Amino acid sequence: MGSYIGKRLLAVIPIFLFATLLTFLLIHVSPVDPAEAYLTAAHIQPTDELLAQKRHEFGLDRPLIVQYTQTLMKMCRLDFGTSYVSNEPVWQEVALRMPATIQLAFSSICLAVFISVPIGFLAALYKNSVFDHLSRLLAYFGASIPQFWLGYLLIYFFSVKLDLFPVQGRGSLAHLVLPSITLALGLIAIYSRLLRASVLEQLQEPYVLYARTRGIKEKLIMSKHVLKIAISPMLTGLGMNMGKLLAGTIIVEEVFSWPGFGRYFIEAIFNRDIPVIQSYVFLAACLFIVCNLIVDLLQMFMDPRISWKGSTDH
Amino acid sequence: MIKSKMKILLLMLLILTTALVGCSTKNTEESGADAGQTEKTITVSWPRDIGTMNPHVYNPSQLIAQSMIYEPLVSYKDGGKVEPQLAESWTISEDGKEYTFSLRQNIKFSDGTAFNATVAKKNFDAIMLNVENHSWLGFIGVLDKTEAVDEYTFKLTLKQPYYPTLQELTVIRPVRFLGEAGFPEDGDTSKGVKEPVGTGPWMLTDYKTDEYAEFTRNPNYWGEQPKVDKIVIKIIPDGETRVLAFEKGELDLIYGEGIISMDAYKQLEASGEYETSLSEPIATRQLVLNTTNEALADLKVRQALQHGFNKQAMVEGVTSGLEEKADSLLSQNFPYAQTDVIPAEYDVEKAKAYLDEAGWKLPDGKTVREKDGKPLELELIYEKAEQVQKPMAETLQAEWAAIGVKLNITGLELTEQVKRFRANDFDLYFFSNYGAPYDPHSFIHIVAEKGFGISDALSKLPMKQELDQQVQEALLSVDEKKREELYGAIQTTLHEQAALLPISYIKKTVVYNKKISGFEFPANRDENPFSSIDIEQ
Repeated sequence: MGSYIGKRLLAVIPIFLFATLLTFLLIHVSPVDPAEAYLTAAHIQPTDELLAQKRHEFGLDRPLIVQYTQTLMKMCRLDFGTSYVSNEPVWQEVALRMPATIQLAFSSICLAVFISVPIGFLAALYKNSVFDHLSRLLAYFGASIPQFWLGYLLIYFFSVKLDLFPVQGRGSLAHLVLPSITLALGLIAIYSRLLRASVLEQLQEPYVLYARTRGIKEKLIMSKHVLKIAISPMLTGLGMNMGKLLAGTIIVEEVFSWPGFGRYFIEAIFNRDIPVIQSYVFLAACLFIVCNLIVDLLQMFMDPRISWKGSTDH
Repeated sequence: MIKSKMKILLLMLLILTTALVGCSTKNTEESGADAGQTEKTITVSWPRDIGTMNPHVYNPSQLIAQSMIYEPLVSYKDGGKVEPQLAESWTISEDGKEYTFSLRQNIKFSDGTAFNATVAKKNFDAIMLNVENHSWLGFIGVLDKTEAVDEYTFKLTLKQPYYPTLQELTVIRPVRFLGEAGFPEDGDTSKGVKEPVGTGPWMLTDYKTDEYAEFTRNPNYWGEQPKVDKIVIKIIPDGETRVLAFEKGELDLIYGEGIISMDAYKQLEASGEYETSLSEPIATRQLVLNTTNEALADLKVRQALQHGFNKQAMVEGVTSGLEEKADSLLSQNFPYAQTDVIPAEYDVEKAKAYLDEAGWKLPDGKTVREKDGKPLELELIYEKAEQVQKPMAETLQAEWAAIGVKLNITGLELTEQVKRFRANDFDLYFFSNYGAPYDPHSFIHIVAEKGFGISDALSKLPMKQELDQQVQEALLSVDEKKREELYGAIQTTLHEQAALLPISYIKKTVVYNKKISGFEFPANRDENPFSSIDIEQ
């Protein structure tokens, strides 16, 4: 087990390097000149002389590989540079907005899990019942509806018409409800179907039949055996959907005026605030990698066969 | 068994929902109680966080908020009239280089300290520490020195006469005044201020990044007190959400430029439940025809294009009447705007005749005119994300096709578009001038000055040199009459040469609920409108 964890941790390094290199290159092939972006943000008329001076200051006149290594070293120390627009350290700006995004993402995941587990499980148990059909409808709806539109719909009905929740902003628990639902619905669609399929698969397994013939109570079979194993693909899904969630927070934060990191990122794109864009992509990559790692480890604990496989391969 | 489990689950969900709904009701009750008190509050929205409230810095600080706290020496009023604000009067020396201001004596900053010439000088010193950041403002570029002559006399000396100085002193930043308590130890405000202390009618009393900013009436304000006690600016980046929040009653007023979609404005107007209005023109949307392009270098071709589209129909159709058709480059509410401009009427036959005269003939069986075997093909670059430019570009494409001109339209990101404009790498481009209080002098300045795009695009006009000279003279002249003549001549040349085609006048919009009264659009494009408004309890 230890070697498996070690191997997984080692695998993180090349993925991380690749992700940062890709970001770095993408920013460099874009037509935006960071020096010009900086001067424009600072309201200074860019002259050739000033541009050359700024390029030198940012190290843009050095070979790409040197620039990349330097950026990487700085990022590892959590030094993302200074925002072109606010002139504040990017890390400080990010840290200020991170709690709001984490709160939103966390509440959405909780909501998604709390709703999709019972739905998926019951839809499998009562296969082809009305409940199953309804859950399928919900899944289609959740998977296909664009988030921004769902956001507007929820605001229109639950906020403007029914006056149950505030339209925008952050503060009370009530502010959290609509954005969380908007963000969670797409996840509910995926997870509930994943769980349903997985439960149905497990129900075909010989151990269920064996347990039944042994006279073990149905409730016990379901909760202690079937659900525990069936939930594993859902965990993978959870890890893999972090990207969807991140992209989702950008949209949802914009629609609900949620004061988080996603909204700040959008503004940075419009302002061509390159250090902020870079830090966002970097943090997103880190989040992806870490989430996948956590999910893998969790799965290992839940289904020890995985780590056996890992070690018997060698 | 499973059924009982399901029941428990449903019960839990029910409790959760009730709890959440309970929270929301409690919340609205609380805010309802707040509003019920005697305090009058107006809640508005703004797309971006207000930023740091430092009078001497630019983005991300928002002009609207800076203008609530800080005041200028003189202020810009309708028609370009400059009126006393912190200075009660002023004199300009004969040579146009010395501006002496008599400051009002009863003015206090929001912390109770007095505003006087010493503080005014301290502010200017801070500005001049970073002169390169502010030299876009013409008079800062030629500012020689500032003096506190006595307690209430403040003097600016310029290196050379520059007539728009007074007008430029009305801008929101960087020439407004911070109180002593706000200055850092070294006096350099570019790195930040200690606290936002100003002389303006409002004080920032509560602020949460990206969420809201609350302004309370400044009890020490020297002028007429605002009618409401508080202005709350909620930060709502999305236009649709802004409209929904307004419809729900979370906002009392939506004010700004392009801050909600034209459709949303029309819809709110049509509902009849709210007050809506449009401001006087704040700027002119115009089309720049690049004279360095071989075809466009010919005046006849430019005139043909000008006559070749139905401007009235295009502006009406694309902007739903939110913008007004423009016949002259400056609208009438700007100083020195020409009043006797003869509009270029829509006349397809005339347009075709001009093209024929210019040698661009339509070969048999073809739809695009040619000259020496070359087709008459032009490229118009527009900003992808802007709601007006694209439909206008498409209209022009269709209209000009009818006179045998092939227009290729290219949608670009704003930055890429500006870059190509500045590099003179375009045939046609949508441009709009800066508006009050920056125009008309900033507009004529870029007609002459290279590096902004316009001057380079006009460079093949036969009288360009003369035009540049007229601009220089107009900016330096101390003789009002001569200046008027020069402005007239410059506008006549530009109008006749048809390289800058006025399209429409851009306007600000406002929507507010019927409890609000006394709303007036400020003459200064960047100023806030909050001092005159009132709300019924």
